[in-house]
Amino acid sequence: MRVRLVRDLLDNQLIDAADQNAGKVDGIVLELCDGEPARVRYVEVGPVTLARRLNRRFGNWVARLDKRLGEGRGEPIRIPISRISLEEPSLRVDLVAEKTPIMALEQWLRRAIVSRIPWS
Amino acid sequence: MKRWLGVALGIVTSIGGFLEIGSITTAAQAGAEYRYQLTWTIVLGTACIGLLIEMAGRFAAVSKHTIADAMRERFGIHFFMVPLLLIFFISLLVLAAEIGGVAVAIEFLTGVHFPVWAIPVALLAWGLLWYGTFSMIENGISALGLITIVFVIVGVRLGPDWHALAARLLPSLPDKEPAHYWFIAVSILGASVSPYLFYFYSSGAIEEKWDETHIAPNRMVAAVGMGFGGFLSVAVLVVAALVFAPRGIKVEEYKQLPLLLSIPWGRAGFLLFAGSLFITCIGATAEITLALAYEIAQGFGWNWGEDLEPSDDARFSLTYTVILLASSLLVLTGIDPLKMTTLSMALTSASLPVAILPFLVLMNDRKYLGEHTNGWLGNLAIVVITVLASVVAIVAIPLEIMGGS
Repeated sequence: MRVRLVRDLLDNQLIDAADQNAGKVDGIVLELCDGEPARVRYVEVGPVTLARRLNRRFGNWVARLDKRLGEGRGEPIRIPISRISLEEPSLRVDLVAEKTPIMALEQWLRRAIVSRIPWS
Repeated sequence: MKRWLGVALGIVTSIGGFLEIGSITTAAQAGAEYRYQLTWTIVLGTACIGLLIEMAGRFAAVSKHTIADAMRERFGIHFFMVPLLLIFFISLLVLAAEIGGVAVAIEFLTGVHFPVWAIPVALLAWGLLWYGTFSMIENGISALGLITIVFVIVGVRLGPDWHALAARLLPSLPDKEPAHYWFIAVSILGASVSPYLFYFYSSGAIEEKWDETHIAPNRMVAAVGMGFGGFLSVAVLVVAALVFAPRGIKVEEYKQLPLLLSIPWGRAGFLLFAGSLFITCIGATAEITLALAYEIAQGFGWNWGEDLEPSDDARFSLTYTVILLASSLLVLTGIDPLKMTTLSMALTSASLPVAILPFLVLMNDRKYLGEHTNGWLGNLAIVVITVLASVVAIVAIPLEIMGGS
């Protein structure tokens, strides 16, 4: 199947194995080998990649802030391309986002703020 | 059968949810100063929002994407940030105007100056969003908004000159103060064609899991619901033309607004006006807040949904919490809600091409809509209206500010 990287992959929605939104494809990692066409190895997810696309300095600032969320944060979150398949209207990723650093901010907000609001 | 019950409900909510501080204020100003002459702008704005709402519903039903989600996907993050930020900041002003509207309604009822009510109103709206469901907000509050039919009853009982009114359905040039005339014209367009409305609508369609069988009912809701909604705006203009214009009353401060109904109907009219303002503005507050949070959550791929528990979409829920707080702080400063309303409506008009034209590109993309892409007439109508509204607004806003009104 022909996939156009920018139109069909970059900035597309990821849905995880539990049918939850797992973010957008914020970046694509290509592998370059001599004499061979470039290969897509990973997609990147998360605010660090996204902010670096907008502005590198801003991205570095976001990375420092993001690092406070714990292990696996403060740097781009990479998902091997082999774990992603096209499932219209989104991309399906065969992992559970809640068990990865992708949801670290969501989990922190849930724990630190939402759970303290009565009847939430 | 269930689908057609949904159509009836959709029409009721569109009618009940149409009026808010922007449409009430701008229609009242138009009627007070130019009698029926600006009726055509309401007709034009209503036609435009009707077309856009139909497109937003069709887009969600066919593509299963919300507009913000598809905009990021189709145009990439750099381009997406432009409409996102522009709509976000202008809608924050509109939201502040709506919160101000609720606060002013409470001031009318209690006599306590409106800024005091900014935080309690934000808390009330937050409680509705945090603990309520999408259908409660969309159907419940909007159905209560049917109270605004009182403007039609008062308008008809005051006996307008129907021929003179019909003659103003077509555009005409002003006899006096042209800059002010065009400023009010674009404010009316901004009040009718609010980008948050179709972001909200497409998100609602996804929340309610629309598919292609919803295309026909959606068309009917958009046409009939928005059509009757626009009719309510015309009714406000007619009442202002018959109550304010003969007495030489210009709407220059918000405290004059209840006179619209209290002059013809006394104390009952005053209470009906305060009730209408309260209900319509709290409904619009909830809708704008949700629309902005939807736009951000969908643009960044988070979990979102008014029907989810806040613990299941913490980023989304806390985003609308912060949005409400930020807008209520603007009201707390005591900025005149009337000035905030007219300015935010005119700014909305100026920003329309940035908010709408990318959406129009999506509506013509077969990847999303297959055989259901737009026809040329709909495209042309939207391009002409939005570009003209924007150009006139960009010229009229500085002139109005320099004119000191």
